[in-house]
Order: sequence, then structure tokens, then C-alpha cells
Amino acid sequence: MHTIIVSNLAKSFGTVQAVADVSFTVSPGEIFGLLGPNGAGKTTTLRLMMDIFKPDAGEIAIFGGDLTLDKKRRIGYLPEERGLYKEEKLETTLLYLAQLKGVDEKTARQRLGEWLERLDLAEQRQQKIQTLSKGMQQKAQIIATLLHDPDLIIIDEPFSGLDPVNTRLVKQIFEEQRAAGKTIIMSTHQMHQVEALCNRIVLINRGRSVLYGLVNEIKRNFAGNAIVLEGQGDFSQVPGVLDVRQHNGTWEMGLQVGTDPQAVLQQLLTQPDNRITRFELAEPSLDDIFVQVVGRSNQ
Amino acid sequence: MNTFWLVAKHEYRRMVLRRAFVLTTLLIPVGMAAVIGLAFLVGASAADKRPLGYVDHTQQLDITLWQNQPDADVELRPFSNEATAQTALENGDIQAFFVLPASYPNPRQTDLYFLEDPPNGDTWGAFDDFVRLNYVDTLDPALRQQLLDGPAVVVRDLDSGRTFSSASIINIILPFVATFIFFIATMSASGYMIQVVADEKENRTMEIMLTSLSPFQLIGGKTVGLLGVALTQLGIYGLTLVVGLLVARPYVLELQTAVIPWVYLGIMALFFLPAFALIAGIMVAIGSIVPNLQQGQQVAGLLNFLFILPIFLLAIIIENPSAPLAVAFTLFPTTAFLTVSLRWGLGSVPLWQLGTSWVILVLTAVFAVWAAARIFRIGMLQYGQPLSWKTAVAALHNS
Repeated sequence: MHTIIVSNLAKSFGTVQAVADVSFTVSPGEIFGLLGPNGAGKTTTLRLMMDIFKPDAGEIAIFGGDLTLDKKRRIGYLPEERGLYKEEKLETTLLYLAQLKGVDEKTARQRLGEWLERLDLAEQRQQKIQTLSKGMQQKAQIIATLLHDPDLIIIDEPFSGLDPVNTRLVKQIFEEQRAAGKTIIMSTHQMHQVEALCNRIVLINRGRSVLYGLVNEIKRNFAGNAIVLEGQGDFSQVPGVLDVRQHNGTWEMGLQVGTDPQAVLQQLLTQPDNRITRFELAEPSLDDIFVQVVGRSNQ
Repeated sequence: MNTFWLVAKHEYRRMVLRRAFVLTTLLIPVGMAAVIGLAFLVGASAADKRPLGYVDHTQQLDITLWQNQPDADVELRPFSNEATAQTALENGDIQAFFVLPASYPNPRQTDLYFLEDPPNGDTWGAFDDFVRLNYVDTLDPALRQQLLDGPAVVVRDLDSGRTFSSASIINIILPFVATFIFFIATMSASGYMIQVVADEKENRTMEIMLTSLSPFQLIGGKTVGLLGVALTQLGIYGLTLVVGLLVARPYVLELQTAVIPWVYLGIMALFFLPAFALIAGIMVAIGSIVPNLQQGQQVAGLLNFLFILPIFLLAIIIENPSAPLAVAFTLFPTTAFLTVSLRWGLGSVPLWQLGTSWVILVLTAVFAVWAAARIFRIGMLQYGQPLSWKTAVAALHNS
């Protein structure tokens, strides 16, 4: 059963169509990427899912139906506009937020101790939040998202403000949550993080889903018209190749439309002076795909 | 614990533990006690404790009657003629002396001699009591006591059956005390609510909160928490007042005979809760619409005026507690609390007005909290941008 089903979602604010037609599903045990340029409708989609806004059209099913207060307690949400009570102590605030999610104080206190230790905030537990650095506040937000042990984790730019060490730690935490069967939706602009973490993605542009599926499949689908080659020989004149670039011993070849990469490989092997040590379809980065798809859909 | 009460408890602790709250809560009663104490000390030290002399040419006054009075706290000293009395006055042995001519009480006229300042009211009154005591001494004891106590006027209201007498001074004092307390509570509550909304805006916690509880739970819990804060503040003020009254009781005869008007206090408690909820609701809505704390406080100041308007029209209400304006204020939700308090203390309020006023107040308060929760929800998601009145009304309509 899907944890989330979003079907043909639409929402406008006055004359602004924030979300026009967005659909996707998310299942337990996966990290799902919600991607899109600024103003694409990602945050509005998340707010619609969290029942902060009501949709104009479309349907949202969370844990098999409408979002009730009980179901909200099973969700950990790290919103785009985030904040904590700055004048309060870290421990007081996090305990309060966990109790609002239905965790009793004793359990919350016990879990909080473990999370503070893990995220290296134990010494700051009695400090006012406004005295913490931006990175520490971000880690505190992540604790607030996870302290009540949610089944569904919705995180908007989770690595914002974190140094590489803490970014790695937080990625590890999300991997563990996925391994534990939790459902994670992540919205971010950091494509390398999406590539590293997400199983599937949906790309939203101008309020519409323009790309949706498994990350590997998407990359494969965009990989058909280029190859990467390593070896010895003259690879500059190969039939069917549109352009050739070489750097650090690696050749990147753009193929003409309709050229079969297998035919190119056979052609290369027929030349006795050529020694091929690596031949693979060039997979574009998600970053490239993002730019390409968004550019195309804007035309 | 229920989420609603969790929010209330958290809000209460958050506000009560603030240094500003502790200071304002303690400083007001301490300051008032200090001022009253100082005034009492100054008054006590300035009072002339020297005897009051008199020359009785009627030969009718018996000083032993005065000396046998248990509450005779002013010493009276007889002189045989004006010359000896004047000598005592000039020597500073007495503060002043009266001379009763032989014809007294026809006419009822005496002469008073003093050097710089006349005797104070208590001393003067003591001499009046002494003279009166002598003239009624031969009468029947019951009649004598009645004459000494003076007339006891009791006003009975035909509608409610309530009685008012000069002995029940507490009836007169309480409406003004309640007015003061409500004034403080109104100012505090509106200030706190605006602050709470500003905190939520500034800290950008709205989305996290809205995914944990409903806007009504959030606003309702905060309102109850702040009600607790206001009641704590009022409790401390009330306790100070009770202690003050207990201290003053031995010295003020009216306080000894005063009866606590429980019905009045009960009615005021019934009106206070919805009145507080109404203030809180309005302030939350205002705080959600305006972009910052400063503008919120300005608008709140104007709206507070709607709640304390009866104070400015006190003279009209006192002169005629059943005037059309007083009735209108009784029925209008924002002015209901103070008007009912003043009218009930000074006269009576017909039951239909009381009931209608309470129902209107409760309905308005419920609507205010309901509307506030919705406007708050929309306003918080604007993140620092002002919410237009049109959007606020649309938020209510769409809900």
C-alpha cells in the first residue's frame, strides 16, 4: 500500500496558479525526491499534503485516506519556513514539540538524550535556541522532525546550513530511517544529494509534473545519445559521432540521432590500432536532466 | 495530556517565568502597599495626640461618661474657665479647646480655640460624641443607642429584593475594585496575546504547529494558558488586597460589619471568562492581520478602549444606573463586564438584561475565538506580510 497518493492536484492563490496538475505516489521504505525550480509549486504541494492548505482540485491520500490529527502525529515535517521558539531552551522546546505529537514526556526525554548525543548537541541542551549557530539550529530541527519516531518523514531542504561532516551524518540518519521502513519525501535543490539518496523523483515545473519515475531509469532514458570511452587509438573520426571531447584520457562522444551505440562500438573494434578499456553509455547527471527538462517545458 | 492543555501549560510556564512578568506582577502590589503604608505612617505621625480641652458653662457635661466609653481614643480634659484653658493651650498641653456657653443648646453653638491648626475630624467628632452622650444619657437605653448610632438608611430594590445600606461599604468598593482589576486584566491579556502572535510569527513555528494540532487547539490552549497568567496576576493582586483589608479591618468600622457579596462575585466570575475570551480572540485576529508587534499594539490600544469605555462614562452610570446608555452598554459585548459590575454594585440589573447580556457575550466570545483561529492560521502563513481585511474575511467565509 502506498503511503502517499497524490492525484491531479491543483491549487491557486487569486490569479496565481501555484499547482496545476501534480501526481505521484510514495511507498514505504523509499526516499522520494520532490524537485523543481524556485516557484515551481513544491512547497505548496507539501503544504497541501500536510493539510495546511486545501486543494482546489485533485485528491491526496495519506496512510490510505484523509489526513486526520492522529495521522499527523505519524508524520515528521521539516518545513521550508522553519523555526523554533528562539527564547526557549533547546531541551524544553524539543520535549514540547514531541509531546504535541503524542509522545509521553518520559519517552521523549529518553529519546531526546540519544538524539542530542548523536547530533552532538548534548552540551547545548540547556541553551536558548537563539544562542545556537545556524547549523546547530538545523540539527535541532531535524531532531524535532524525528523525535516522535514518525512513519512518514517530509523534509524540505534538510541539508541547508550543514557542514560536510553533519551533511554526511544526516544522510546516514535518513538512510537508516529508510532501512527501518519509513517513507521519506525530500525536497531539495542539491541534485547530488538526490542522486545519492532518492529511489524515485518527481520534477515539478510551473505547477505540473514534468518528469516522474525511478532515478536510474530516468538517467538511462536520458543517456541514449552519448557514450564515454577510454582506451588507446584515434577516436576522432568515427561514423555516426556528432562531436568528440577529450579530457584526462576520457573521450565523450555525442551521437547523431538514430545512431546505435552498439554499432559505434563494433566500428571501433574493427580498427586494429584501437584498444578499448572502457565503453559505456554516458548517463547525464540529474543536474543536467533538471536543466534540460525545465528548459524544454518552459519553451 | 490532551494537546489543548499541553499548549495551555506550556504557554503559562513560558509567560510566568519571564522576568518582565515577575517584575510587573510583584512590583504593582509591593508599590501600592508601600504607598499606602507610607501614607498611613505619615498620617499617624502627623496626628496630634494631645488632649482636647473644653470649658462647660452649662455644667451639664459629665466627663466620666466619656471615660467609660471603650472606644474613647481621644483624651478630653475639662477646664473651669477660658483663662486656664488658654494657658494650657499656649503651654502646648492641649491641642485646642471648646467653650460651651451657658445657654447651650439654645442655640447649638460653641466656640473653638486653637493656635495654628484646628483639630482633625476624628478629634472634632469625638467631642461631638461626648456632648451627644451627655444629652441622651437619661433616655431609655435602646433609644439612647439608636440616637448615638444615628440614622441607618436601608434602600431595598423592589425588583431584585436586594438591600443597600451605609453599613455595607464593600458593595460600593467592590465595583470599583472589579473595574480596576478588569482594567489591568484587559491590558495584560491584550498585551500578552499580541506578544504570543508576534512570537509565533517571528519564530516561524506555524507550519510545525499546524501539523501537530488544529488552529483551535493552538489558539484555545494559548488563550487558556494566558487566562491562567492573568488569573495568577489577579490572584496576587487580590491576595494583596485581602491582606490589606485584613490589616485595615481593626481600624475601619465599616469593614468589620461588611458582608462579602458572593452573588456579585459569582456574576462577575461568569462574565469575566467570556469577556477574557473575547479580548483574546480579538487580539489574536488583530495580531494575525498586522505585520508586526508595534502596529498590533497600536490597534490593540484602540480596541482596548471599547472594553474600558464605561470607565469614561462612569458619571452617567453612577447618576442613573438604569439609563438607556447603561442598558445599551450592558448588552454590548465589549462593555458588558464593566457596566454590569458597576450597575450591580450601585443598584440592580434586571434579570432579563443580565441573561441577555451574558448570552450575547458568550456567543460573541465563541465567534471571536473561532474567527481568530482561522485568521491566525492564514495570517501566520503570510510570513511577515500584512494580511488584507479582504483575505481575513475570505478566510472566515471559506472555512
